[in-house]
Amino acid sequence: MGAPLKNPTQAEQDFLREFALLLDKAPGDAAERQAAFDRFARAGLPSRRVESWHYSDLRVKLRQASPLAEPPDHVSLDYARAELEKVAAPGALKLVSIDGFFAPDLSDDFSRVAGVEIRPLAALSNDRATLALQADDPLLDLNGAFSPGGLTIEIAAGISLEKPIEIVALCGANGGRSRFSRVHVVLGEGARASLIETRAEGFGGFGDSALLLSLGKAAELDYACRSRDSATVDVQTCVVSLEAGARLCATALVAGAAFLRRQLFVTCAGEKAELHLSAASMLTGQEHADITLVVTHQAPACLSRETFKFVLAEQAEGVFQGKIVVPPQAQKTDGKMVCRGLLLSDDASLQAKPELEIFADDVACGHGAACGKLDANQLFYMESRGIPRPEAQAILIQAFAAEAFDILRDESLRDLLNADLAALLQTGAFA
Amino acid sequence: MLEIENLHVSVAGKKILDGLSLSVPAGQVAAIMGPNGSGKSTLSYVIAGRADYDVTEGSIRLGGVDLLDKTAAERAALGLFLVFQYPLEIPGVATMTFLKAALNAQRKMRDEAEMAIPDFMKRVREAAARLNIPQDMLKRPVNLGFSGGEKKRMEILQMALLEPRFAILDELDSGLDIDALRICADGVNALRSKERSLLVITHYQRLLDYIVPDVVHVMSEGKIVRSGGPELALELEKSGYADYASEAA
Ligand SMILES: Nc1ncnc2c1ncn2[C@@H]1O[C@H](COP(=O)(O)OP(=O)(O)O)[C@@H](O)[C@H]1O
Ligand SMILES: [Mg+2]
Repeated sequence: MGAPLKNPTQAEQDFLREFALLLDKAPGDAAERQAAFDRFARAGLPSRRVESWHYSDLRVKLRQASPLAEPPDHVSLDYARAELEKVAAPGALKLVSIDGFFAPDLSDDFSRVAGVEIRPLAALSNDRATLALQADDPLLDLNGAFSPGGLTIEIAAGISLEKPIEIVALCGANGGRSRFSRVHVVLGEGARASLIETRAEGFGGFGDSALLLSLGKAAELDYACRSRDSATVDVQTCVVSLEAGARLCATALVAGAAFLRRQLFVTCAGEKAELHLSAASMLTGQEHADITLVVTHQAPACLSRETFKFVLAEQAEGVFQGKIVVPPQAQKTDGKMVCRGLLLSDDASLQAKPELEIFADDVACGHGAACGKLDANQLFYMESRGIPRPEAQAILIQAFAAEAFDILRDESLRDLLNADLAALLQTGAFA
Repeated sequence: MLEIENLHVSVAGKKILDGLSLSVPAGQVAAIMGPNGSGKSTLSYVIAGRADYDVTEGSIRLGGVDLLDKTAAERAALGLFLVFQYPLEIPGVATMTFLKAALNAQRKMRDEAEMAIPDFMKRVREAAARLNIPQDMLKRPVNLGFSGGEKKRMEILQMALLEPRFAILDELDSGLDIDALRICADGVNALRSKERSLLVITHYQRLLDYIVPDVVHVMSEGKIVRSGGPELALELEKSGYADYASEAA
């Protein structure tokens, strides 16, 4: 049984051991889990020799894998409840998980919300069937092997949700664990919704989360990820499939990332789907955030816009890898990708690698990347009006980063991220 | 009000102001005229507190307070204002947000309470109306894509709102057609008062037809070489700066 790991690292051996312990008691189909683990084992933890992981060598970074998190006990529940008060978005319908385990006690009651159904996500095959998953990724496989059964949020065809749904990922009272979580959001034909994902899991350890988004025909989703605080080594994977005429506006505010990889695999599966993707990553100290995305225009006449911003202070490292893939049948593709870095220190760095892989001839695609510093003339202009230097700097940083949030249609989500950003700048971490 | 004594300034090792002295009493409108490159903008930046100039000698005082050890923002809170020759564009920052940040930052430094939003809006709207600035311009990012004339009107709007006691106008007329110049000059003249001094920097006499100065100083090669009444401007218009240039060269 199982594929052998070649020259396993300590962390890989840890995963192997933990998986053996988990397999009998985990929910869902054991064979599916085993298959996912085998796929992971064949690839192993990616090292810098794997091109798409070149700048985030997980094999080196993850020396060992800490034990799997347990379902939350009362102490963890209380701990998370206090945390929830601090981070939850006002006015949203909450679905809370602690260390990857759904916490119904802290979540809102969805039984009265018309058109929304929350179900446990046990069987991996559901994912594979509903999503034309193009993501062959060892960390997504690792998530599939270990995830303690997540949730499916299903929004029925034609439903327009009034309030945003907020997925809140918290950690329990025991730090330093390995946490896996998985959520699948399905929008039926013509459904409209706003989704907030609030991640506040900074408590050491390892995190590997997956968010799967399936948008049916002409469905519309606004999605704002607030990555506030993540595990010592954290991998967030988002896999998206868009049917014909669907529109996704997805952005993220990334902060408090010790070593974060946020990867997005998007397939425009139906004609005239529309994708607006962005993120603002705010990094300081020794933080490292790697945003990697692959957007595949499977169908003709889809539009995609990608805008990725990095604000980098002290010795922070930003990585952006963006690939737009346009196979021969995807004529009339319109894809534009930009990455912009704002370096606040000479020791900060940004690696930006935007790429186009185009096999169709009638397309309009482009990409660009640029890095700069705060403009001394703009700063002096503001100071000469009485705005002290740190405040002037914060205003310019906010203006730079917040542009990423302009893609959202839902103003309440935009306001939320802008307020988060302002609060972050108020701490003086980027002064 | 403003007292500059024996000011020596260099940039990147190059001497630009060379022992400049100037005194502008309260309520006075003083003009500085001088050829391009004589150091007029440098003087205005040094007074306003821009970094990257080396002040090697001399002093600048505003109302008796030494400015040289103050930041640019502190100088603004003390009542100093500079109308930029080339106002900066700030993408992503709405003009209203910017104005509010500036006004409240100054008030905070002076230990005054923040201005209530309705009062603030009212003052901005009134000042904008006087300067022919449409309201929707205030929602746009600071100076972004504004014409030269719009930018200068926005400078005067800021001046009206911040009510400085000492304003420096660096080449207010550059990039302005005659109608825009008249609107800006009217805006400035409306702010003339016994308590407020103005330093009007220009190298054309034309501006001084609209903002009539009490005194005129001629600047050349980093210092004031002559001072006189408004008639000095007319004289310069005829004779040019040739008499003052390159004595030392
Ligand atoms: N940052 C700078 N670096 C080097 N030289 C400068 C700088 N700023 C001004 N200068 C020089 O100083 C002199 C005076 O410039 P400026 O003050 O702009 O004159 P004016 O405004 O009277 O035209 C010019 O020779 C100009 O080239
Ligand atoms: Mg000049």
